[in-house]
Amino acid sequence: MERHIPLPMLILAVLGFAFMLMPILVVVMAGLTAGEFLTFPPQGLSLRWVAAFLQSDKYLSSFFFSFRLAVMTMIVATILGTAAALFLSRTGMIGRGAMRAFFLSPVVLPGVVIGFALFAFFIATDMGISRTIWGLWIGHILYSTPYVIGTVGAALASYDTSLEEAARSLGASPWRAFRKVTLPNISQGIQAGSIFAFIVSFGQFEVSLFLSSPNSEPLPIAMYNSLRYQFEPSAAAAGIFAITLVTASVLLTNRLVNIRRLLERQQAGG
Amino acid sequence: MTRKLIRPTRRMVLRGGLGLGAAAAFPAPFINHAWAQDVTYDGEVFDAGGAVLDIGEWGGGWEEFVRGALIDDFERDFNCTINWDSSFPWFPKFVTQGARNPVFDICNWNLPNLIQTNQAGDFFLTVDEMRENVPNAADCWDFAFASGAGITWAYQPYVFAYRTDSGEPVNAFRDFWAPRFANKRGAYGTENGLMHCFFMACAREFGEDQYDMEAAFAAIEDAMPLKISEFTFNMLSLLERGEVDIAVHIEGEALSLKRQGVPVDVWEWSSHPILTQTKTISRYAEPMQKRLAFALMNRTLEPSFLEVFGDEFLWRPTNRNAAITASLAEEGVQNTADAVEAFWVPDWDFFVENKLEITDRLNAIFGL
Repeated sequence: MERHIPLPMLILAVLGFAFMLMPILVVVMAGLTAGEFLTFPPQGLSLRWVAAFLQSDKYLSSFFFSFRLAVMTMIVATILGTAAALFLSRTGMIGRGAMRAFFLSPVVLPGVVIGFALFAFFIATDMGISRTIWGLWIGHILYSTPYVIGTVGAALASYDTSLEEAARSLGASPWRAFRKVTLPNISQGIQAGSIFAFIVSFGQFEVSLFLSSPNSEPLPIAMYNSLRYQFEPSAAAAGIFAITLVTASVLLTNRLVNIRRLLERQQAGG
Repeated sequence: MTRKLIRPTRRMVLRGGLGLGAAAAFPAPFINHAWAQDVTYDGEVFDAGGAVLDIGEWGGGWEEFVRGALIDDFERDFNCTINWDSSFPWFPKFVTQGARNPVFDICNWNLPNLIQTNQAGDFFLTVDEMRENVPNAADCWDFAFASGAGITWAYQPYVFAYRTDSGEPVNAFRDFWAPRFANKRGAYGTENGLMHCFFMACAREFGEDQYDMEAAFAAIEDAMPLKISEFTFNMLSLLERGEVDIAVHIEGEALSLKRQGVPVDVWEWSSHPILTQTKTISRYAEPMQKRLAFALMNRTLEPSFLEVFGDEFLWRPTNRNAAITASLAEEGVQNTADAVEAFWVPDWDFFVENKLEITDRLNAIFGL
């Protein structure tokens, strides 16, 4: 049966999507300008700033550094966030609500506060990781993990725990029951959370401002520096590649999820 | 039936607390600073044995150029590695890490931020200590040492950049307030150094002296509405598009727009304040790092570097032996004692001491 969306809702939805997509359009068009400055609308169309980005050692190294950092962050944030979400959904200890708020607090606090607080903490404890890649990594994990907790927590909220209990009652060990029953049921939430973690880390600016290490500049910091000292459209050209990477990662994940579903259906049918 | 898979017991909580306590009690490694040792530098190349020098410097195209024109050779000649950090602001990093554990061995600043940091602690060598160990400092004009805490190696005069198709040429500071520029005036946010200097110049122009804050507030209020930008290059794009007809700016960047064929010219403020690039050396840097910092400061003041830097970014050198880049020379700019005599560095100590009040009042004027 075909669903009908009321016309006012449809118009609102289209306007909402257009509003959200407009900055992306502006960045893409500004990156393709033929002019000297980062302006919109563009002064003619050209690939000169895209070429400038591809020829810039600074931008390319920042781009790939941000990519590696985001992948590393995604892996750890996914593991920690999933574990935290499982704990929060299953524990009955007093103060569970406060603990959930605590785990999610990095999202609520301004990034610049987290960045500075971590910077001060690393120095005060003399851990030797202030302004190192490891300190920056910890900052990104801290900031990205709540997104995983949120999405996995949402998946667990709709998950019927009696399925796992049934597996246990049939003799499965706790680990086997989790791996064979719980994990497949919440995998959508985990994948969505991991993608969120990747995107948040890749675009993170405020935390990186205080924690980034010398000679290893994440892309948002490199773009900010370009705007601050040159205001060239190469920053927008870098934005085009960043948008492309994030879009590709989302599409790829969707594709992988669909393939997995297809395989599951085939196995079920066979 | 539902069942909780995790149920912490009192024993588990106590065991966890014990573990946290043990971790907190783990002794942090002690770093023995040898900063108390005297370090001297005579201008010669030496082998730093692969030492690492932490520097705070601007990023982007600035970094790419300076690395190619200065740093690469420096690393090779002195057998050292430069750790380049461009994630400004420096002030909170210096203050948080403390004077005895400097975040950078050598750092490049705009003066208001430098003075703010210098007022917060004993972070930097004095100008006299630097001059004794930086041979090329002997060739610098006196205003290169006005900060008291670093050596200024490049500068630009403040100007009004204006569109030449908007009427008669600008030839007085008060032209900024001319009715023809109504709604077409450009200035900066309250954290931008150009706005700080504009404020001090307004005080000097409309009041008794640079300390006459009330006169400056009144003048800026009279110039409203101002189009506020955060960065100078953003202001250039506003000028190029004609959204702004006159703007507070600095000479070199504004002239770069003129060189691109945009109908823009500059008028240097009659009081001749300057925007500076100033490098400090941290007092408590390790001996080898401090020696390398002297060497890098000395290389920065070499005419050969200052000239190629001027060619690229149109900054003027503070070294009297460096030549002015051709495109500035065509505009009549000279690097002679007479030409630099009138340059003036605002009293940034006064500004920093009154910054909170100035910022609040300006934000109120801007309607922020």
